[in-house]
Amino acid sequence: MAGSAWQRGRVASWLVTTDHKRIGILYIGTALVFFVLAGLMALAVRLQLAQANADVLSPDRYNELVTIHGTAMVFLVVVPLLAGFGNYLVPLMIGARDVAFPRLNALSYWLFAFGGTVLMLSFFADGGAARNGWTAYPPLSVQQAGDGQDLWILSLHILSASTLAGAINFLVTIHNLRTRGMTWMRLPLFVWSIELYAWLLMAILPVLSAGLTLLLLDRGLSIGGWEVQTHFFDPAEGGAPLLYQHAFWFFGHPEVYVIVLPAFGIISEVLPVFARKPVFGYKAIAFSTVAIGFFSMLVWAHHLFTVGLPTYLQAYFMVASMVIAVPTGMKIFNWLATLWRGNVSFDSAMLYALGFLSVFVMGGLSGIYLAAFPIDWQVHDTYFVVAHFHYTLFGGVMFAIFAGLHYWWPKMFGRLLDERLGKLAFWLLFAGFNLTFFPQHLAGLEGMPRRIYTYANEGWEGYNLVSTVGSWVMGAALLVFLVNVWKTARSGRRVGHDPWRANTLEWYTTSPPPPHNFDEVPYVTSARPLDDLRRKLRERDGARALS
Amino acid sequence: MRALLVLAGLVSLLAAAAAPAALGQLAPVTPESPNAESIRDSYLFVSIFVVAIFVLVEGLLIAFVVRYRRRQRGRFEDGAEIHGSTRLELLWTAGPVIVLFLIATFVFVELPGIVDEPAAGPRGALEIRVTGRQYYWQYEYPNGVIAIDRLRAPAGVPVRLEVTAPDADVIHSWWIPALGGKIDAIPGRVNRTWFQADRPGVYRGQCAELCGAEHARMLAEVEVLPASEFDAWLGSRRAEQSAGTSPLGEELWTGVCAKCHGLAGEGGIAPRLAGSLTLADPRAVETIVRNGRRTMPAVGAGWTSEQVEALNAYLEENPPGGR
Repeated sequence: MAGSAWQRGRVASWLVTTDHKRIGILYIGTALVFFVLAGLMALAVRLQLAQANADVLSPDRYNELVTIHGTAMVFLVVVPLLAGFGNYLVPLMIGARDVAFPRLNALSYWLFAFGGTVLMLSFFADGGAARNGWTAYPPLSVQQAGDGQDLWILSLHILSASTLAGAINFLVTIHNLRTRGMTWMRLPLFVWSIELYAWLLMAILPVLSAGLTLLLLDRGLSIGGWEVQTHFFDPAEGGAPLLYQHAFWFFGHPEVYVIVLPAFGIISEVLPVFARKPVFGYKAIAFSTVAIGFFSMLVWAHHLFTVGLPTYLQAYFMVASMVIAVPTGMKIFNWLATLWRGNVSFDSAMLYALGFLSVFVMGGLSGIYLAAFPIDWQVHDTYFVVAHFHYTLFGGVMFAIFAGLHYWWPKMFGRLLDERLGKLAFWLLFAGFNLTFFPQHLAGLEGMPRRIYTYANEGWEGYNLVSTVGSWVMGAALLVFLVNVWKTARSGRRVGHDPWRANTLEWYTTSPPPPHNFDEVPYVTSARPLDDLRRKLRERDGARALS
Repeated sequence: MRALLVLAGLVSLLAAAAAPAALGQLAPVTPESPNAESIRDSYLFVSIFVVAIFVLVEGLLIAFVVRYRRRQRGRFEDGAEIHGSTRLELLWTAGPVIVLFLIATFVFVELPGIVDEPAAGPRGALEIRVTGRQYYWQYEYPNGVIAIDRLRAPAGVPVRLEVTAPDADVIHSWWIPALGGKIDAIPGRVNRTWFQADRPGVYRGQCAELCGAEHARMLAEVEVLPASEFDAWLGSRRAEQSAGTSPLGEELWTGVCAKCHGLAGEGGIAPRLAGSLTLADPRAVETIVRNGRRTMPAVGAGWTSEQVEALNAYLEENPPGGR
């Protein structure tokens, strides 16, 4: 390793690293810290809602926690966790030594850590943290006094810069650094999903940045006695609050797929390995990823069905939203077919992947109600929507992330996570998750709006109490996971290159891999290079036995 | 395998047939207006497919997991070497397309019943302006009657709502679940919706768009009265409002002031008002409600003088916290 002596220190080497694997682990570790923080915020929110007319949190404090919980889970947890997997895995999976721009990659990580810190510390700002929801609609977000909302905007600007640089890095890496024989149709499905993740981010992040900048200017800036005060969203001066909503959701809806596509990618890697079969319909899954990415940019206004859009526009956005269900359904059926006639074993990684399938379906199906705009007029902005997006984002994405953590942990650290603790955490999480979020569908149908700090309707109390108890079960599951991580670090079972007999190139090298990843990379002849190698070895041994 | 698929198909069809009955509980609240009813019908129609697909997918998942689990086979023994099937891909592309086509068609068939108000009878439709404000609803009737939070409406008559919010306020969302979908109250825009309730009664809802600290207390009620009773109420309220004897002052105190300052002025997220000398000064009260103060929004900007006088009269009669 190059660099002076201090750069090789145990801590310093992590601070100055440009190794994609270390940056990937930094991303995942930092995002897990934010996950714990944002999870604690959710527990506080659930505590306040456990009973009608409760008095645990003040209205402003409640709104701050809801806002930062949502913002952090999207921007500081799920996206960076997936960016972490992408960082760690993409170069290994395509047989490269690193990403195309390692130093830019380090910059991405440090911007993320910095932006996240700004958001978390904004609780201590003058006037408290932002409290206008993770969507920050004006005029409400323009009117909040103090610095919280400005810091929220600053944090998102920093995070956008980080993510954009990361996206460019992924694209250049995937397009240019694939090893010999790795054609597009032999690319691991996880890498396909990162490809689309990166393209989508490039297309939508600038729109978010524009919207947030207008918001910042509307709030008023004063730099060295130079005052700026615009009125983009102020109707009294000819502005329009809806302009922001369009900008936000032009970003916000594809963002959902930015998050969910890599989660799909993880599932497409894990299922075949534990079903001992090739993934069913490789091309269908790859092309459906592209289709979802494309259509996701044409549906944003289904978040605006109640703002009074003309009916023909709502009709268009309904049909477009439904179109996305088709490639998504294709994926689900292909994953199911991957299990068919397999030899299925149930390690924790596989349990999470199967758990993903079973709960994600639910989130997809509740989405059909939301796409049908007259039905959305009833359920929009209620707990039905809260349940829907937690089924997709927690039940879907976080389950996939846990599948990925258990699956790739031995590659990253050379040790297997403990199976008994892993299974315990899974079943607790699965039960706690459904307990928390299923009743929220019912509360929403009965008229409970989201983002209310209290309610007087005692008919909603039962649902909310169950939901709160469920949130504690989820908390317990995450504690078990953290204990597992700690225990594994001390005494986890060591493994060799390829404990799962997997398919993709990251398993060809040592666990953990050396800084340069590979001494040599085999010529890739299919989407399952390691399976090809094993078959070749078997044939050679068979030929030897015969002769 | 084929038998398994047929079985899964049959089970999901059965579940779908049972869905509307079972989902009676899992649907939006009992509708009291034709638009809410058509929305609920659409919901139940979608549920047929949702339940069928749910049972199909979860059923296959469980069946495959049970049937193809490892048992005595070796940990790394390979399953069948199957890479895909074009026929199956076409099947599960075409299937969802057909289902979604049916759903979209049903929605378009129901749409006129949701969007278009029914033909008005001889007495025509009633038009009310609904203004969402931090944190109360203000209703203005054609004859100038103003009411807060509780909207009174005649039974059996189409009620047309013009929903908006003042320029200096924030976005709110009008929603009474039994009377139809929600529509946002957006500064600078006027949105329209309607309902027609045939059964007298009180239907409750609340603001559905985060609008600030007391968003959770921005409740709305619609009291549907028999038409003749409504006419009588509207007429006498008009006269009372001119005479300064209407309950408007009390409505303003409970709907506008008390949500933050407490019903007895004991204070809440806003300062204690009980015993405050300012409340005894009508001009000071007017200045504060019209312009706001520090973090207090200008809750009374744009109020008519009748409104301000009604509030002051009420405060004089009933000083918060007693005399």
